[in-house]
Amino acid sequence: MLIKRFSTLVTVMIVIALLAACAPAATQAPDTGGAQPPASGPEKLRVWIEWGDNPAQLQGLFDKYTEKTGIKVEVNAPVEIDKILAALSGSEPPDVIVLSGGDQIKSLAKENVVLQLNDIINSSGIDLNDIFPAPMIQCKQGDKIWCLPWGTDIYALFWNKDLFEDAGLDPNTPPKTMEELVEFADKLTKVDDKGNLIQVGFIPDFSWSHTDLYVRMFGGFWYNDDGTQVTLDSQPMIDALKWQQQFYTKYGVDNVLKFTSALGEYMSPDQGFYAGKIAMMVDGEWQVGPNFISKFKPELNYGVTPFPPPASHPERANTGVVQGTVAFIPAGVKDKEAAGKLFAWMMSPEIIAEEMYANSNLPTSRKASQDPRFKQIKNFDIFINLMASPNATGAITTPINQELSNELGLIEEKVLHAGEEPEPLLKEAQSKFAPMLEEALKGK
Amino acid sequence: MQKMDSVVSQSHGKPVRWSKKTRHNFWLGMAFLAPWSIGFLLFTMYPMGASLIYSFSEYHLRAPLKWIGLTNYINLFQDKLFYTALGNTAYMVVIGVPLTLLLSFFCAILLNLKVPGQSIYRVIYYLPSIVPTIASTMLWLWILNPSSGLMNTLLGLFGIQGPNWLKDPLWAKPSLILLALWGMGGTIIIYLSGLQDVPLSLIEAAQLDGASWWQRLIHITIPMVSPITLFNLITGVIGMFQYFAQAYVFGNTAGSIGSPLNSTLFYSVYLYQTGFLFLKMGYASAMAWILFFIILGCTILLFRVSNRYTYYSG
Repeated sequence: MLIKRFSTLVTVMIVIALLAACAPAATQAPDTGGAQPPASGPEKLRVWIEWGDNPAQLQGLFDKYTEKTGIKVEVNAPVEIDKILAALSGSEPPDVIVLSGGDQIKSLAKENVVLQLNDIINSSGIDLNDIFPAPMIQCKQGDKIWCLPWGTDIYALFWNKDLFEDAGLDPNTPPKTMEELVEFADKLTKVDDKGNLIQVGFIPDFSWSHTDLYVRMFGGFWYNDDGTQVTLDSQPMIDALKWQQQFYTKYGVDNVLKFTSALGEYMSPDQGFYAGKIAMMVDGEWQVGPNFISKFKPELNYGVTPFPPPASHPERANTGVVQGTVAFIPAGVKDKEAAGKLFAWMMSPEIIAEEMYANSNLPTSRKASQDPRFKQIKNFDIFINLMASPNATGAITTPINQELSNELGLIEEKVLHAGEEPEPLLKEAQSKFAPMLEEALKGK
Repeated sequence: MQKMDSVVSQSHGKPVRWSKKTRHNFWLGMAFLAPWSIGFLLFTMYPMGASLIYSFSEYHLRAPLKWIGLTNYINLFQDKLFYTALGNTAYMVVIGVPLTLLLSFFCAILLNLKVPGQSIYRVIYYLPSIVPTIASTMLWLWILNPSSGLMNTLLGLFGIQGPNWLKDPLWAKPSLILLALWGMGGTIIIYLSGLQDVPLSLIEAAQLDGASWWQRLIHITIPMVSPITLFNLITGVIGMFQYFAQAYVFGNTAGSIGSPLNSTLFYSVYLYQTGFLFLKMGYASAMAWILFFIILGCTILLFRVSNRYTYYSG
């Protein structure tokens, strides 16, 4: 028993050490295409996908590459990030990796495990002009391109028409400004005799944080545009947090927290918005596809619209922050040419259209977005137009992204769920992360 | 190793020529030991040694190690989150472990009573500890749901308005302790076996002398099971210092790792986050070594202190 307990600690050490132990070549890894002499080409390529609700569908998609080229593609999905890290530090990484989001790509690039794609893009004829500029932001660092977006997400405002009607609002007119949204939210919020919330108009961090969208609406972000400076304590950041905070302070922080804790699972009919407990929510394009609202609450009478701008800045209408899946080639790949060819095939408009239609995600290719199948999904065009809007932007990422996002998450929690003032928290974080980013970029 | 010791001791320290058979036996013994020894060297000693070196280095996934001396350790001692994590973990060790021991001992006494259906009760109390960790954590997240959960519904029957177990930083750790208490079947079983080893003769003698139930408990039962208490205490403390899975699931459900407000950011959780999410493997290795020494220190301390309070009848 004692030994067993000790062994858990030892295991943590082992995992860390093994990651490094894999680094020098030699060791295991039985069969990969890379082992073949380049002249004869690879027998098999490997693709690892971090998400993957439907591995069979993904394998089916890549089987088309086999039909076309005769090269087998083995798809592994979903794969946790720890396994991806271990593989990246090893001598036989998979040929292509698809991550759920671009937030870690620059930290990985700093670790020298990501292949710079500029050459492959030039030689394989991937048309960068076909890719929407907003989702590209997370992959670019100056001129360097570390990844390409492979289907992305953008968020909009969903509203429950029935609840609008009950509250005496026009069910077909969503709020046009952020101020109006606050007004509507008040009208849509109900309490019972004991003062418990039974319906809430809007909860800014439901189902997760959307500070990136709000801060863009206030005209800034937590990095400057080229990701070389931290701007955590900038006015838009303070405004974005304060704007969110009011939804908690007004109805009572404890009340709202109790209310949100009682909401059902994200993928269930009891999800707050589906269940008619939350009247307006910010959520992504997948909601309008077959696997969410129409699966769990087909009768829900709802509308979707781009999130409104502040009244003082109507020109910020159609602002959206694009995030989502990115694909990259590990630096340690043996047969870069073969990996590059597979990568280029993945980025072709037809394949993007097929994959994104299957998962109701936004196609990152302009040509793919014209695919008639997307028009069949009701309201999907709202999201495609949002991504194509000149106000659409990507989440700016840096090599210190994970740590900064983690801290920002904590600040949000303190401001929204504990009623703390945002300014001193942001200032403290600014003084911590500004030198950290400078240091990280110096090393690159 | 044992084999070699016995060979040496037979020779009273003087070198002797081994017979062919002894030599054969020696190598045969070594061969039998080899799978474990090689595994131990390769998968325990080497990684531990390597992580010690990494803890003095800046570690990159695909670049040579950069020796930075004590920098990781110095940074660690200036890291606020390190103390938050250490504090959270200490809370679990100081409050969670004694509470578990006390309640397990109490349950073991009850389960030791000769009542009809005794074995059924024993099974019921042991069952939760065979439920997989993640499953039981998910289950408890439902039970502790502040509005629709079983716990607050039950408290509501008595007119008590239950707290927000999941999202209130004051209640997050007590929630996790509740979860730990639910799964204390293993500790109960060990106590139960200890209770059955308490000599009946002592209890009968005390009874004849007119000792009450309470006096027998304090002066006979508790001293007699003290080695079991020590064992449970040490394994409990070690386990709690490495507390991870439940906290990881709990935090992620409440928002993100460490939620609410870093109240569930335990040492191992922060170690994982540092190594695998922030990609600071050297720093994480330094954390692992500090944890190792903290656990070692606590264990030694407990052994030392326990000498005065532990009674070994054998």
